[in-house]
Amino acid sequence: MIDEIRRVARGWRWTRRPLVPRSAEAWQRAHEPKEFPTGWARSPAAKAVREAVLRYGFRPLVWTETEPTVEGLDNLDHLLSPVMFVANHASHMDTPLILCSLPKAWRERTAVAAAADYFFDVWWRAASTALVFNTFPIERTGGKRATTTARRLVADGWNLLVYPEGTRSKDGWLGRWRHGAARLCIEYGIPAVPIALRGTYAAMPRGRSWPLKGRLPLSVRFGPALYPQDGEDFRSLSRRMQQAMARLWDEDATNWYQSLRREAEGTTPSLVGPQGPRWRRVWEASRPLPRRSKPKVWKR
Amino acid sequence: MTRPGFVLEVDERTPPLLVHEGEGFRLQKFPLGTQVFYPPDSLPPIRDVTGNIRQALLNPHNSEPLPELMKPGMSLTIAFDDISIPLPPMQTPDIRGRVIEQVLEIAARNGVDDVKLVVANSLHRRMTPGEIKRAVGERVYRSFWPEALTNHDAEDPHGLTYVGQTDKGEDVEINRRAAESDLLVYVNVNLVAMDGGHKSVPVGLGSYKSLRHHHTVHTMLNSRSYMDPSHSALHDSCARMGRMLANHLRIFTVETTLNNDTFPKPFTFMNKREWEWSLAEQGAYVAAKKANDSGPPRIRREVFQRIASPYGVTGINAGETEAVHELTLASVHRQQLVEVNGQADVMVVGLPYICPYNVNSIMNPILVQCLGLGYYFNLYRNKPVVRKGGAMILFHPVPWEFHQVHHPSYIDFFDEVLSETTDPAAIEAKYEQQYATDPWYAHLYRNSYAYHGVHPFYMWYWGAHAMDYLGDVIFVGGDRKAVHRMGFRAASSFADALEMAGETVGGSPKLAYLHCPPLALAEVR
Repeated sequence: MIDEIRRVARGWRWTRRPLVPRSAEAWQRAHEPKEFPTGWARSPAAKAVREAVLRYGFRPLVWTETEPTVEGLDNLDHLLSPVMFVANHASHMDTPLILCSLPKAWRERTAVAAAADYFFDVWWRAASTALVFNTFPIERTGGKRATTTARRLVADGWNLLVYPEGTRSKDGWLGRWRHGAARLCIEYGIPAVPIALRGTYAAMPRGRSWPLKGRLPLSVRFGPALYPQDGEDFRSLSRRMQQAMARLWDEDATNWYQSLRREAEGTTPSLVGPQGPRWRRVWEASRPLPRRSKPKVWKR
Repeated sequence: MTRPGFVLEVDERTPPLLVHEGEGFRLQKFPLGTQVFYPPDSLPPIRDVTGNIRQALLNPHNSEPLPELMKPGMSLTIAFDDISIPLPPMQTPDIRGRVIEQVLEIAARNGVDDVKLVVANSLHRRMTPGEIKRAVGERVYRSFWPEALTNHDAEDPHGLTYVGQTDKGEDVEINRRAAESDLLVYVNVNLVAMDGGHKSVPVGLGSYKSLRHHHTVHTMLNSRSYMDPSHSALHDSCARMGRMLANHLRIFTVETTLNNDTFPKPFTFMNKREWEWSLAEQGAYVAAKKANDSGPPRIRREVFQRIASPYGVTGINAGETEAVHELTLASVHRQQLVEVNGQADVMVVGLPYICPYNVNSIMNPILVQCLGLGYYFNLYRNKPVVRKGGAMILFHPVPWEFHQVHHPSYIDFFDEVLSETTDPAAIEAKYEQQYATDPWYAHLYRNSYAYHGVHPFYMWYWGAHAMDYLGDVIFVGGDRKAVHRMGFRAASSFADALEMAGETVGGSPKLAYLHCPPLALAEVR
């Protein structure tokens, strides 16, 4: 029995993406994949498990392995759910970092958009991410079903955490910006809250499953909400989101007043990184942030 | 749109493939590069079967509509295929019963009183009342059993009519009632390309005197293959007899075809291509495999024999035999044909628990041979799947086990004949007459539920072409004594079988696995 289960599990790659033999690919039926059900992950029991895992598992872990600074939470004070959190995305750390940075009341009402083709390709990954991060599948290829669940969640009053780039950055800088988040904000008249994440690429870039040693500093900075204006189209709102994120990034690198000044002058540094060969952008992005904590008096 | 049949080339992405092995099945890893032949997806079934039957009877091919052939005072005989097809038996209502009901509706409306129904069981065992009832339906059974609904008796001296000889000197002798009727309606289920056409009446209602002309080693060796009637000496002989009969009596043929929905729940995974198995189907496989392997043999057989296929009907054609059969064959090919490029060195097959002659019975070693070297080897058109001198690897336990009631002559054939020689021609020359005319076997055939005394010979001849053509035949997991008695070799594992086949075909042979059932017919180019 065990042997048979093992044979089936290995043959059908239970723990990985199922594959189709090459010679059979041409004969595969084009079928709309069924969406992995995630409604259960927003039940009270799942919420309780999630809160426990995030609070007593991920937060100590992330805060031990890295040195995060969370700023701008006061921007959430007078906001009402639902809102759309939009953040730049460079690392698998981003989601636990943001969720653990949010106040509990916000955290437990926030769902995270996750790529259907990556996080929902095998059952165990789909189920575990849905439980721990309250993820829901989003089709990166677009199509009519791409944002169906997102709409339903917004309609039910859930805050969404969306990475408009759709994938982790390959060089640590902002990638191609997709407009789905802006469209949803306009459609439902909900505000977008920009979040600038700095240092996560340096701490745990693509290809790593654990942060680099040395408790590298990270920064999570929440910005003021951006409300869609009357008659505004999604491109305009997307542009404002990017500008807000760039200013937040600049604020984190300098200070609030200087970032405002540079924004007014139009000299806010771009989020696409330095021009030139790719290595320059990777080089800059992988430079650890300066430490903000006071140096230890008693060094080992 | 139904996907056509296709040839899979095993690569590192291919999961283990389902292989039948008698009353069991397994997942087997195949060497990279093995070609696997899958039949087309199951064709969509006809939704309004009753309406289609009616239309077929009212608009026949090359014939007047059936109502015009029915007159008061006439004698009508309805013959129908026996339990040997379809395999597994189809879920009720059986298509034969549905057609017969429609024919009888017309007969009743047209004032026909003299109606008889005959099971065209040829030299097969008689069908039991329960089996007949299942095939024809309760209404027909209640109206006609037992006086006017009977099994054909090929040994009844008063129940046969000698019609004459063909231009090749073949005797034609068939059921008297059928031969003397004003109208014979033959209702068939055409499961594979060898069935139906002129094979129905001359064989199904024939006697040994008639069958001995085409059920011979010579015709088998000259049927390339008998699944391709246009290149089959067997079918040529049947056609000569059928045409002669058509000149003597009015035959109205109704042929039906089925799709490839072979296995019902919870065995539906057996109908599908493995990499398309859902998680539930993978679970069903594990559960079924475990239950089957650990169950007692009797229960296992009982479960398998109770499988009834949820076949859908894909074609109903009626009228003159040859015109109808052409359409029937097209329908069969649409469902089963898979185009293959080139021959392989080794052909691999997994033999299931059932063949035409062990429904509700036991598949004895001779039937295993017949299914593998007869039917499976011949599932080709143009050229055999395997090259001349190649090897064939068959998965089956080949148990030394016989059904005492159904297969008495098989027991003696296995003990007495095969222990002396396995050469079909030598067996035919020395033993056939003795068994065919043995009064005890004839008695059991007529009064019990035994296959005719000559039947095991025909089963042996069925594999004559393969035995002559192949260089090696290896049974994986086969009972060594039984396999050796038949002149073949047994291997304990597939790897061993490949190693053994290497002695015949050399190293790195080209392998072809015929993934069947569901049924596939290889068109080898």
